[in-house]
Amino acid sequence: MNPKDIFLLSFEALVDRKVRTLLTILMVVLGSSLVVILNGLSAGQAAFLEKQFNTLAANVIFVSSGQRGFRDTSASNALIINTVVIGKMKSLPLISDVIPEYTGSVSLDSQGNTQRASVTSLDPTKLTVELPNLEYVDGSTVKPNDRSSAILGDTIVNPPGAANAFVTLGQTIKATATYADASGKTITVTKNFVVSGILKPSGNTMVDRSVIINLDAGNELLHKLNKYDAVIVAATTPDDVDTVQQELTSQFGKTLGATTPKAIMAVRQQAASGNAAFILMVGIIALVVGAVGIVTTLYNSVTERIREIGTMKAIGAQNTTILALFLVEAGLIGVLGASLGLIIGIGGGYIMSIVTTTTIGGGGPSVHIPPIFVPMDLLKVWMLSLTLSVIAGMYPAWKASKLSPMVALRRE
Amino acid sequence: MNSKKGSILKNMTKDLVVEKNTQNEIVDNRSFALRVENLSKIYDSAAGRVVALDNVSFSIKKGEFVSVVGPSGSGKSTVLNMVGALDRPTSGKIYIDGIDIFSLNDSEIATLRNRRIGFIFQSFNLINRTSVHKNVKLPGIIAGMSSDDANLRAMKILEALDIADKKNQKPINLSGGQQQRVAIARSLINNPSIILADEPTGNLDTKTGEDVFDMLKMLSHKFKRTIIMVTHNPELAESTDRSILLRDGRIEKDVFN
Repeated sequence: MNPKDIFLLSFEALVDRKVRTLLTILMVVLGSSLVVILNGLSAGQAAFLEKQFNTLAANVIFVSSGQRGFRDTSASNALIINTVVIGKMKSLPLISDVIPEYTGSVSLDSQGNTQRASVTSLDPTKLTVELPNLEYVDGSTVKPNDRSSAILGDTIVNPPGAANAFVTLGQTIKATATYADASGKTITVTKNFVVSGILKPSGNTMVDRSVIINLDAGNELLHKLNKYDAVIVAATTPDDVDTVQQELTSQFGKTLGATTPKAIMAVRQQAASGNAAFILMVGIIALVVGAVGIVTTLYNSVTERIREIGTMKAIGAQNTTILALFLVEAGLIGVLGASLGLIIGIGGGYIMSIVTTTTIGGGGPSVHIPPIFVPMDLLKVWMLSLTLSVIAGMYPAWKASKLSPMVALRRE
Repeated sequence: MNSKKGSILKNMTKDLVVEKNTQNEIVDNRSFALRVENLSKIYDSAAGRVVALDNVSFSIKKGEFVSVVGPSGSGKSTVLNMVGALDRPTSGKIYIDGIDIFSLNDSEIATLRNRRIGFIFQSFNLINRTSVHKNVKLPGIIAGMSSDDANLRAMKILEALDIADKKNQKPINLSGGQQQRVAIARSLINNPSIILADEPTGNLDTKTGEDVFDMLKMLSHKFKRTIIMVTHNPELAESTDRSILLRDGRIEKDVFN
């Protein structure tokens, strides 16, 4: 019997039991699409993080008040970072710059349009210390001492999907921030800024969605009371980063957290690889569940078609032909399930990435991290789904092929 | 189906044109479609030892239409299953076209069933999800016949059996008589040496049963087909060329009608 005839007979057998076939295919689809979605989102997140950290200078150390451990979220021992602390940091060896910052989030209004944005309040001339590749659009000016001028990230000026720019150079925007006073009452602070500079896309989502204002303006707008949120400490050279980090820790102990982009990246990568292993396990379990579905379907099919198998054998079908018929059925379920799984997985990955937008910058605007689908990974998922399906079909197919024709023909 | 197995069976026939049977008599296989020699089948069941067939021997010439009759449990179906190579005997031999069929391995037996035996079942045993035409050509496809040849041959047989107009229908949508005609057509596609019919009229009303029987008779007389039919119906049995009456696993009578 030639392969084409075997294929047609197997296909007809699947079509004959449409609902059951579709449900079995659905099980494979669920398994393979789950693996595709999780893989795509995981790869997208990894790439996103890598991109963020690649824009940062290699010699910077992020310093924040208090070293927050896993169980210690109160930061009760946190050091209040003020000008005295900054001065002490500046006096340490191998440090080329110390840049204090206030951070927060605001609502921006421009010509009737509103959007949320992160605020970074620092000496704007020091931006390039942290992000050396930063570039401004033509016509931008940096006014470090002007409390009313602001520099905007690219995504704020050109929001995704908007036909027109949110604001242009020289225009005024209104920034509104809120804080709770000592009695818990919400106080709103509003301040107008003239857009003096616009950043070109930096590749760093945090920066692209930020409003940069000077320290005085930030202190006032965000009501920080001269307590800095973070400090960027620049070591003289990238080789000095570890020494400076150790020095900061020895000077300030656990009252202050000091970490490097390299260390953050390493932790993230470790977490991501742990995540990937977990995701793979979940996906494989889902695929195995799908495979069990195939075993059940084909096993039932063998039982139901036992007379048909007997008839096929009586009219001369070889055991290998019967084996092939059922394996092709399993293979067809696998091919359809895996292929649909890839398509649905890719679509589902994009939908999931939109639904589960990530918030950055502590209450700042949400970021869409698109999934990344690597063709080789997709092919591996497809092959895995198909292989599992065929393996799942082996036992029922073998059982069918070994049936005695006489016993099969007698069965009602 | 590969041609190697086909040639094994072909060569075996050629080699065994003339041979000695178990009684040391010279037998010319060219005149016999089937020889059954000292066939016994014993089952060991929970109820004890059951002798289904006890030393049964008979020969059937090419073109003969033979009925096998007998009460329930006499061994009719057991004989048919053995001759159809669906079951193996406890002892004894069966020759189809001179081939000792139980000397073959499972794969060669499947080839033999495909090429040299046509089956007609009481409950038709058609594949209901596919068309009449495909049911008929299926043994041809298994035999490795080209698609064009199988299509052409299936159509010719369907026309000869006056059922060509139903070729695209599913068997389940046909009457019992029509379904049995499709089963007869299927049994003929590979031009087999023997057609084995197990109660072919058992599921049909009297008139339809007679029509189907007449069709088998026509195949035997007009096209010289060798047919062995198991039946409960004594009238039909008397209308065949020869009747073998089995009782308690033995041949009680072997009469020419």
